[in-house]
Amino acid sequence: MDAFMAFLTIFTHPELLLLVGVGTFAGVYVGAIPGLSVTMAVSILISFTFSWDVLPAISLMIGIYMGGVYGGSRTAILLNIPGAPSAIATAMDGYPMAQRGEAGEAIGTTTVMSFFGGLVGIVVLAVLAPVVSDFALKFQPRDYMLLAVLGILLVGSLSSGSLVKGIFAGALGIAIGAVGMDPLTFTERFTFDIPLMRGGINFIAVMIGMFGVSEALMQLHHVDTPAIRQKINRIVPSFGTIRKHLPLSLQTSTIGVLIGALPGTGGDIAALMAYDHAKRVTKNPSRPFGEGAIEGLVAPETANNAAVGGAFIPMMTLGIPGDAVTAIMIGALFIHGLNPGPMLMVEQPDMFWFIVGALVMANFFMLLFGLTGIKLFTKIVEMPRAVLIPLILLLSIVGAYAVNNSITDVYWMLGFGVFGYFMRHYGYPLGPVILGVILSRLLDDNWRRAIISEREDLGRFFHGIVTSPLSLVLFVAVILIFVSQTPLWTKFRKKETASK
Amino acid sequence: MQDHVHHHDSTRDGSSDATPGGIVDKRRPGELVFTACLVIFSGVLLWNAYGISGFEALSGAGSVPMATAAVMLISVTIVFWRTVKLSKTEDETVMEDITPPLVIILALFLVAYGILLKPLGFLPTSALFLIASIKLLSKRNWGFTLLVSLGSLLAIYLVFRIVFTVLMPAGIVPEAEALQLLRNLFKGGA
Repeated sequence: MDAFMAFLTIFTHPELLLLVGVGTFAGVYVGAIPGLSVTMAVSILISFTFSWDVLPAISLMIGIYMGGVYGGSRTAILLNIPGAPSAIATAMDGYPMAQRGEAGEAIGTTTVMSFFGGLVGIVVLAVLAPVVSDFALKFQPRDYMLLAVLGILLVGSLSSGSLVKGIFAGALGIAIGAVGMDPLTFTERFTFDIPLMRGGINFIAVMIGMFGVSEALMQLHHVDTPAIRQKINRIVPSFGTIRKHLPLSLQTSTIGVLIGALPGTGGDIAALMAYDHAKRVTKNPSRPFGEGAIEGLVAPETANNAAVGGAFIPMMTLGIPGDAVTAIMIGALFIHGLNPGPMLMVEQPDMFWFIVGALVMANFFMLLFGLTGIKLFTKIVEMPRAVLIPLILLLSIVGAYAVNNSITDVYWMLGFGVFGYFMRHYGYPLGPVILGVILSRLLDDNWRRAIISEREDLGRFFHGIVTSPLSLVLFVAVILIFVSQTPLWTKFRKKETASK
Repeated sequence: MQDHVHHHDSTRDGSSDATPGGIVDKRRPGELVFTACLVIFSGVLLWNAYGISGFEALSGAGSVPMATAAVMLISVTIVFWRTVKLSKTEDETVMEDITPPLVIILALFLVAYGILLKPLGFLPTSALFLIASIKLLSKRNWGFTLLVSLGSLLAIYLVFRIVFTVLMPAGIVPEAEALQLLRNLFKGGA
């Protein structure tokens, strides 16, 4: 009953409802503007909601997240420019549809399917998270440590062509998170005897730099790209279209939730995998894939929104982010004095049910804003980058400054912005850095707890891993990720496919 | 697939969430220098991590930092080794594709912003920054530039000062006094 009341909180408080609505609206448009990503929006925003209560802050962020994952599809369909990474697969069939004059139908189907996928994700979250967190209470410190490593490795390996670069980025994040005084022994770590560094590096400054400033600097390469206009017709899809694709959308939503729930992987990977799945299972697509098949829209759009619910599962139950945005949300919860993990689910289940409620609401708002406001949309997307880029930079500075009222944070932010800019140019993924920063404490604490409980004996530590089924599974998963990226494995796979 | 999706060379830019940019099988200009810097940086970090608590205990304050720095050093050394062996991209230069003048100028603007923020205050510094960068990027006339930059600055100021209650350095602008004056004015009028 309490859970249900907490779930209803969002519906009975008009101001929270409004914030979810505003967030979703902003998310749809932020997601739609190429160069403005959800991660960027949430990381800049978190600094501004710093002084708020936790519920309004979370409401706004959830709205932005849900709306942003969807919003990227619009520009993917209309301009062939995915507004967000999770919409990359959407462009493959969405744009050909728009070229045939079916942009309205494409947008309508996308919206309804995103809504459907979002709902599936939320239902799975609501059903599964309590189970997972019960289970997670039995986790040993070493399991948390392995999970953290697994998360960083997964995002590193799935998101980039190069696992070593992903590993480097993740390790860099852990190192950044370790800067400052060690909370257990009060030893200085990575401070280089500079007094300013004793307090550590503000992770919000790192995030805004990497996702805000570096993105804005990157967009300078495309400052002269002219905006393209598209005509849009009927937008609400027919019931028949939706019913016809229900089986496929259920499958791809499931893929979305699963991928989203893996620590470190989010909507972008889910969408690509779902697209691939649709290509394999659809016998008679409306048109060949890549030429405007509606199935090619249904699959990625259900999956990426389902991944939102999925991403909250490890975040709420284990304190391990499902993707970059949930990593930032964990940061926000920390700031507001909450500690995501199995204990949060036990001690403050209301928080969990509130978030589920907010997600449901955000999903409805997404449907509403998705099917309306096309005129406004085309206006906003046509905003020239010459204006957009300076504004993002200014907001990044204000955001970095606002957290601690400190100029130092602004300098860190700018430094990481420039560094992130080079990382992007040379193919280093940024997601693992953020995951590393967020998980640094968890990894360090749990490693030390684990090894102390084994009396500083590495042999006993490994014995513990092989004798516990859960630890063993996690350990094998970590090893597998490594092996799957080695040249040996690639050769093996090639042989395998050749012999088929 | 990638070429089909992106315009220009934006695959090389990466995206902010998970997909990194770069070119997999070619070496971009400056990549070797960047990687070399990372190798040196990781080495220094490992040395520093060793200094935290040495090898005294597996649970020491320095063990995770040491392991982390070691992983960084090993991985980036592998990257360096691979990068050395790659052939250069033919159509790219540092000044055109990695750090074109616009990027350098904007980065300098940001540094200037950081320096001026405290002494000048938020409003004048931001106004200067927006006017200069929008003029530079849009190449439009002064009317457009001033209207857009000052208009958006006003909007940002109102939203963040009033809705988010973010306090930025006032500097030379008597902000608090002005707001108080405004409040009194409205009170007087009501």
